[in-house]
Amino acid sequence: MKRNDYDVIIVGGGITGAGTARDCAMRGLKVLLVERHDIATGATGRNHGLLHSGARYAVTDQESANECIRENMILRRIASHCVDETDGLFITLPEDDLNYQAKFVESCLAAGISAEILDPKEALRMEPSVNPDLIGAVKVPDGSVDPFRLCAANMLDAKLHGAQVLLYTEVTEFIKEGDMVKGIRTFNHQTHQSAEYYAAITVNAAGIWGHHVAEMAGVPIGMYPAKGALLIFAHRVNDVVINRCRKPANADILVPGDTVCVIGTTSTKIPFEECDNVRVTPDEVNLLIEEGAKLAPALASTRILRAYAGVRPLVSADNDPTGRNISRGIVCLDHETRDGVKGFISITGGKLMTYRLMAEMATDLVCRKLHVDKACETATLPLPGSERKSFKEVAEQIWENPTTAQKATAGRLGTGAARIKDTSPLGQSLICECEEVSVGEIDAAIQRLDVSNLVDLRRRTRVGMGTCQGELCGCRAAGLLARAHGCTERARADLKDFMTERWKGMYPIGWGDALREAEYTQWVYKHVLGV
Amino acid sequence: MRFDTVIIGGGLAGLTAGITLQEAGRKTVIVSAGQNALHFFSGTFESTEAERERITEFFVRAGIPVHFQDGQRLMPAGTFRPAALSLEDVTLFPQTPVSSKALIVNFSGFHDFFTAFLAEGLEKNGTTCRICTLDLPEMEHLRLSPSEMRSVNIARVMDSCWEKAVADIRVMHKDEDLILLPQVFGLKDASIPGKILAALPARAAFIGTMPPSVPGIRTQMQLKRRYEILGGTFLMGDEVTSAAIHDGVVSSITTRNLDTSRIFGEYFILASGGYFSKGLAATPVQVVEPLFRLDVAFEEDRNGWYRQDFFADQPYMDFGVKTDADLHAVKDGQPLKNLFAVGSILGGTRPDFGSAAGLALRTAFAAADAITTSKPQE
Amino acid sequence: MTLQEYTASAHNFEECMKCTICTAYCPVVPVNPRYPGPKQAGPDGERLRLKDPYFFNKALKYCLNCKRCEVVCPSGVKVADIIQAARIKYDRSKPKIRDRMLAGTDFMGTLARPFAPIVNGMTGLGATKAVLDATLAIDRHRTFPKYSAHGFEGWLKRHAREQAKFERQVAYFHGCYVNYNFPQLGKDLVKVLNALGVGVQLLEGEKCCGVAMISNGMTREATRHAQHNVSVLQKAVDKGLTVVTTSSTCTFTIRDEYPELLKVDNAGVRDALVLATRYIYQALESGAATLRFREDYHARIAYHTPCHLEKLGWGLFSQELLKMIPGVEFILLDSNCCGIAGTYGFKKENYEASQAIGKPLFDQVEAVNPDFIACDCETCKWQLEMSTGYTVKHPISILAEALA
Repeated sequence: MKRNDYDVIIVGGGITGAGTARDCAMRGLKVLLVERHDIATGATGRNHGLLHSGARYAVTDQESANECIRENMILRRIASHCVDETDGLFITLPEDDLNYQAKFVESCLAAGISAEILDPKEALRMEPSVNPDLIGAVKVPDGSVDPFRLCAANMLDAKLHGAQVLLYTEVTEFIKEGDMVKGIRTFNHQTHQSAEYYAAITVNAAGIWGHHVAEMAGVPIGMYPAKGALLIFAHRVNDVVINRCRKPANADILVPGDTVCVIGTTSTKIPFEECDNVRVTPDEVNLLIEEGAKLAPALASTRILRAYAGVRPLVSADNDPTGRNISRGIVCLDHETRDGVKGFISITGGKLMTYRLMAEMATDLVCRKLHVDKACETATLPLPGSERKSFKEVAEQIWENPTTAQKATAGRLGTGAARIKDTSPLGQSLICECEEVSVGEIDAAIQRLDVSNLVDLRRRTRVGMGTCQGELCGCRAAGLLARAHGCTERARADLKDFMTERWKGMYPIGWGDALREAEYTQWVYKHVLGV
Repeated sequence: MRFDTVIIGGGLAGLTAGITLQEAGRKTVIVSAGQNALHFFSGTFESTEAERERITEFFVRAGIPVHFQDGQRLMPAGTFRPAALSLEDVTLFPQTPVSSKALIVNFSGFHDFFTAFLAEGLEKNGTTCRICTLDLPEMEHLRLSPSEMRSVNIARVMDSCWEKAVADIRVMHKDEDLILLPQVFGLKDASIPGKILAALPARAAFIGTMPPSVPGIRTQMQLKRRYEILGGTFLMGDEVTSAAIHDGVVSSITTRNLDTSRIFGEYFILASGGYFSKGLAATPVQVVEPLFRLDVAFEEDRNGWYRQDFFADQPYMDFGVKTDADLHAVKDGQPLKNLFAVGSILGGTRPDFGSAAGLALRTAFAAADAITTSKPQE
Repeated sequence: MTLQEYTASAHNFEECMKCTICTAYCPVVPVNPRYPGPKQAGPDGERLRLKDPYFFNKALKYCLNCKRCEVVCPSGVKVADIIQAARIKYDRSKPKIRDRMLAGTDFMGTLARPFAPIVNGMTGLGATKAVLDATLAIDRHRTFPKYSAHGFEGWLKRHAREQAKFERQVAYFHGCYVNYNFPQLGKDLVKVLNALGVGVQLLEGEKCCGVAMISNGMTREATRHAQHNVSVLQKAVDKGLTVVTTSSTCTFTIRDEYPELLKVDNAGVRDALVLATRYIYQALESGAATLRFREDYHARIAYHTPCHLEKLGWGLFSQELLKMIPGVEFILLDSNCCGIAGTYGFKKENYEASQAIGKPLFDQVEAVNPDFIACDCETCKWQLEMSTGYTVKHPISILAEALA
């Protein structure tokens, strides 16, 4: 039997896994990443997309706050095409204690976060959608980050540095020799093939599912699945992140991201069995709207596009199976020293914001074990696509008089937009009209970014993320996938999955214009097209 | 302004009621808030036989040739659905395989016609398929706009150069006994699809595209023209803003455009459609009929409005305005004496009248009949 | 929960269901592929522009602002308003001299009228047209409307005393066209209203409604005109006068474009401003007055509904009045844009598109072969007369000539 040998195997295709794969590959290791679904399907793709300044944690957790602001500044440099430098406001409403503000500002400054107290009127000028009743405001360097783009760029760079990535590949078993993890057995959900892969070190970067992955390796991690629900509104109501200046609570962050804005979150402990299929309840929807409208009153009468939920991979401190002592900080476990299991480490906890630092910590540990002495460069070398700061410069450099869709493409791909070869009218024709995604961009994503179905395509291009939620573009994109993969039957099944997945986010907010859109879409797909 | 009957909604139901009443010599007005669901019409009306003759004659009088034929319709996604009453340019297949070999023709760069799905659907049913694309110089102009390679725009071009398309298809054609084309012919001129069928070297069928639907728009235009020729007044792009109701009788309405000029009527027909057309409106807690505040049948618990499967029958689609046996709309538990509710605003509340296009046609006939046979009111 | 109780978004562009009906009825889409189409230019583009003004697309200038997209939209989206508002908000390019000249209808009129015979002679000359074409990019096929040597305002002032004798009075917003180019229409209106027992008076110094300024990017000037006109109209309203008009475009601009695009509050005057045809129809319908028509009047009339009248929804008043005249054979032309769209068709770069847009209408006129065309809009009149060779008459003028 052919041995598949690697220096390191990374389990999990979220941002932590992708970042770790990139870092390991950049340090010259032979890397394999396996993911049972697609990239960014877990908590990575199911959060606000907030580029934390760290201010939210300043009062309660200086360490996290400081990590955030450092990573915030790094991501602005290395991931400029994924980051929107919007700034953020922490507002005090009449029902909040204004005394908290002084403590907040002091803590921010202590953590190295710039925090400037603004007059409420000035805050209103800066962000006209903010609740005009505010009695205080602090400006901090928050921003927004597109997690799909960030994850795809890390994955792509890992591959450019020689890493191998296997999507839809699930770990079924660890190959152990005594107390040593030697590799993994996997099952590929697309080819239905099993395989074995060997490596000196296996890194568990599977987020909340890391609980099970560790169990399989025979080590316990006390994880605590906390569901967080969010709502997406149909346009960018705010241009500046709006937070409440008080102790962190439910639904107190409104983040502008690309063409939409997102309010969240809630926090509810859920059983592990539900992690694969979390649904947003009417109570959560109501709470999000009520609290959201306090940040920006316009939300009360703005169309809602969809509701979604993610599961935070929180970790209980060691020897505390009750989950009471929860850390939101980074947890990097060397199972050799902790549990006596060699060749296996877990990197978990943390947050989207600190993925790079998490990856660096995990990679440092891997390198120490493998006696590799190469410094981490992920904080200085830009991700593919982020070689230039401004997407406008990128667009103007690639095209003379860029079209709206070309501008949008440059916004999504950064310098990677230059790789879209097909600039003929056929290549430029639009598949997704809401988000302006062309045939050329979709073909490029299929060729370069491991797209195997429509939902994957959405994560890499924003196809179907706009107002119509796939009504116009679903069938068209399915046609392109059928052509690329040479399999119509698969494209047809994909289309059904895609529409069902879109609907999953729509029915929890199924009233008003969202229900009108749903009625129209269901009519078209069932009665006009006969899907 | 005063009319015998005021019709709210200019879609299939509203136009059918309007035409039927004008044919009976009544003076009517239709207030239509924009265009309507006929623009997404698949070309097939019904799969049952009820009122077959009346429906056929109604369309024929309006210059819209239709045919009744039991068979299967090939849907754009390559599936088959039963159908009976259809526009003349919709081909119904009595059995599968529909042919031994089929040629599927598309325009290059037209993404709203799903050739791959069609081919797969046909091959599953025993037909060998070949896909060809047409590259007419006349389409180059259209293609320069990245979002406008759409059915209607192609149809506009094809209205003047369909013969070139036919000539190219004749060259492409080998030994196929069926040719499939997208429904992008005959936007203004209803005779074009028939001419194409006659000019092609094999049996041919037109298959639907993503909306807007070319035969749907044609049907809408012809019905509207028929209504106006009969003397009906069609207020396009206007919207009813209020209604006056006294003692269970509607006396007049106002519209956005005619503001202070009230429109009086002896009878009123509400054909304002479902959610898309805003005949029904949903808030987080209820479904309402926004104009007359009629009673609506809906489920109290919002959780019960939907099924998780996108493709399942959705309960919210069955919600609708309550009516008495004669389609009088019910408000506060009492039927309004001169207000009829017809078409998709009824949702699934009147299964006795069928669904979709059949519901629109039959309820519109029923309301018009009730008006023409009743005695004038005091 | 009281939040989200509205069944539609407060943000009008979010009501777009992406049904694309608007693009099927847009007159520009089939003739100009550089125009992104109403859905893309309007609600789709708005989301992107809200993300970053960089997404503003200069091709929005190809929108005619005919409002047909709004008339057909099943969702009530103010597509054209969204497009025009985006132009006002984001377009930083300065209007060309040519555009300023075309937009300054009353300024040009004031200058040209004293020299009307000379100006008319000059602008009619092939050589002048060639110069205009080459220097200002005003298409050589276009004929400038002739300037009348004697303005309508002067004429009505001379007849003010006899008009004052009528017990019922209306004020008349005549617009630039009646004053400078075609006073006869104003005179016809006075004749018809007098026959109804209504006297006509001028407003206290109206200015051009500003429609051409709006479409040529001169928002500041248009806003000044709007503010002036609203105050002048308010004075008439305060006197209890209804203000009648004969131009569907001026009427539409003052009623709807002032508040929607220029953000000039016209709430106090909006309902008092009506097209004369609506005023007359209502007077006749209420039984307050009657009109007597000639018995020997015979005409086969093809009626064209101008885009802005289609949007106002008042075409039926003009149509019903014409149908009332015994001896009129009335033919309603299909709803189609004629392609001129005010100053749009005068620009050299738009000439071909303008004629292509109007072609279905021209063809239908030819097929119908009427005695003449009836239409409530002066710019449609220029376009139809130039492109079809048929005479175009205003419904008020037709009423006037048919009066006994």
